[in-house]
Amino acid sequence: MGPSISLNQVSLRYENNIVLQDISATLGAGECHVIMGPNGGGKTSLLRSILGLTPFKGEVNIHWPKGKGKIGYVPQKAAFEPSLPLTVLDFILLNQSRSPLFFNFNKKHKVKALQQLARLGMEDRAMFRMGQLSGGEQQRVLFAQALLDDPDLLILDEPTNGMDDQGVRYFESLIADLVKENKTILVVHHDISAVRRLQAVVHVVNGTLLESGLAEDVLKPNKIERLFNHYRTHSNHQNEEVA
Amino acid sequence: MDWLRLLANQGSEAGWLSESFAYGFMVNALVAALLVGPLLGGLGTLVIAKRLAFFSEAVGHAALTGIAIGVLLGEPPENPIIGLFCFCMIFALLLHFVRNRTAVPYDTLVGVFLAVALAGGAALLMYVARKINIHMLENVLFGSILTITDFDLLVLGASCLLIIVGLMFTFNRILLASISPDIAKVRGYNTHFYDYLFVMMITLVTIAAVKIVGAVLVGALLLIPGATARLMTRSMGSFVLLSSLLATLSCLIGTLLPMELKLPIPSGASIILVAASFFLIATVYRIVARKQ
Repeated sequence: MGPSISLNQVSLRYENNIVLQDISATLGAGECHVIMGPNGGGKTSLLRSILGLTPFKGEVNIHWPKGKGKIGYVPQKAAFEPSLPLTVLDFILLNQSRSPLFFNFNKKHKVKALQQLARLGMEDRAMFRMGQLSGGEQQRVLFAQALLDDPDLLILDEPTNGMDDQGVRYFESLIADLVKENKTILVVHHDISAVRRLQAVVHVVNGTLLESGLAEDVLKPNKIERLFNHYRTHSNHQNEEVA
Repeated sequence: MDWLRLLANQGSEAGWLSESFAYGFMVNALVAALLVGPLLGGLGTLVIAKRLAFFSEAVGHAALTGIAIGVLLGEPPENPIIGLFCFCMIFALLLHFVRNRTAVPYDTLVGVFLAVALAGGAALLMYVARKINIHMLENVLFGSILTITDFDLLVLGASCLLIIVGLMFTFNRILLASISPDIAKVRGYNTHFYDYLFVMMITLVTIAAVKIVGAVLVGALLLIPGATARLMTRSMGSFVLLSSLLATLSCLIGTLLPMELKLPIPSGASIILVAASFFLIATVYRIVARKQ
């Protein structure tokens, strides 16, 4: 069973730029939660705050049902240098095992890594360099990495960026399977139709938490329009403050 | 070590080995090369992955100041190891500490630290010159196989063992912390710890290799075998192993060649030239292979 997450007045600012302001919410356990909002609205910053990757004000509490569990994380993007001979298999082994890559003769590790890649349809790319892969393929490998430890909490930052249709459909079916296993999933996503298919709890963030609820309730055409109106007024408001 | 020198001497007298092996200092130098080569090559791959080539050069150059401080504080000029160790370690740790707390680009920061260390060393050398023959420092700066003692080999062996054991447990985490620090942090790894650990390893290996490669050129031996191996390999494991092999071969050939050919070249310069020739061959091979 995945954990629930409670946010209490989470605020974040970079110098004079207010990124998040007093966000309070409870993300239920064993559900898929999607964070949406306009560009620059603070979606990634909120994820990073929850993961403890950025300093913030307020409180984030992850309530694990049976002691601290595993977290899987897919960052928005990872920069892999094309000339570095780091293969896809290397990258997975790096995350999976402490045995150094130059001294890793454990076949079980390799078999497990290849199985993980096969789940994401990437086993035939195992010996490709990470830097040679397309953006969508890199996302699949990052996803495979996140699933390595069978995490109870999965946090994904725009995981379908650059993915082809087949990849997106596979991602959606995987998310559905994980929710059936009562994992808690937190995803930043910008594709409204894809989010509707996920049947998730949607949280719209634009500096503040604008709205939370089931996808079919939040993502209604008239509400979407209002959210984008808010984006404009919010931006104008910030500009006025700066002026 | 006496048994090894005796064995080499007998081998030389029997005609199995060249005349060079009859000299004890040559056997010492080759043992040092065998110890330090794999380590420099292996660590070099992480230097490349972490894009710290300029940093390793800076640590090597900071050795000049460390040597000057050591000599001024009364250490023997042929082996001012405490001054060298302390200054290089403080230099490297301070550089990383400042890096983590400012927005100054890393290469700029390394450039500033390097310039300050070199200027400090140049200033102190004037005082050092009053105490010793300044040419003695050339041995430390550019390497000299004549100066390697049994004690040096002991220090070198201990340093190498320490770093290799450390790398066996931390290699993957150091690499992950450099290529994807966020994933490493989420996995619960203390990325700052692994960064500092790596910096300490680089500093230690720099000091360990001073006698054979020389403080100024040790950064190059961290870099060139790795750069060569990167051109020739397809996976991280083979990258590390080939880099280690090339660094070891460079050390062995570079130590042996001037002696065999009776060339008055410091061992450090010779080792780097051998390593560079491997790099040249690999580069030409890649260009030709790409055209085909």
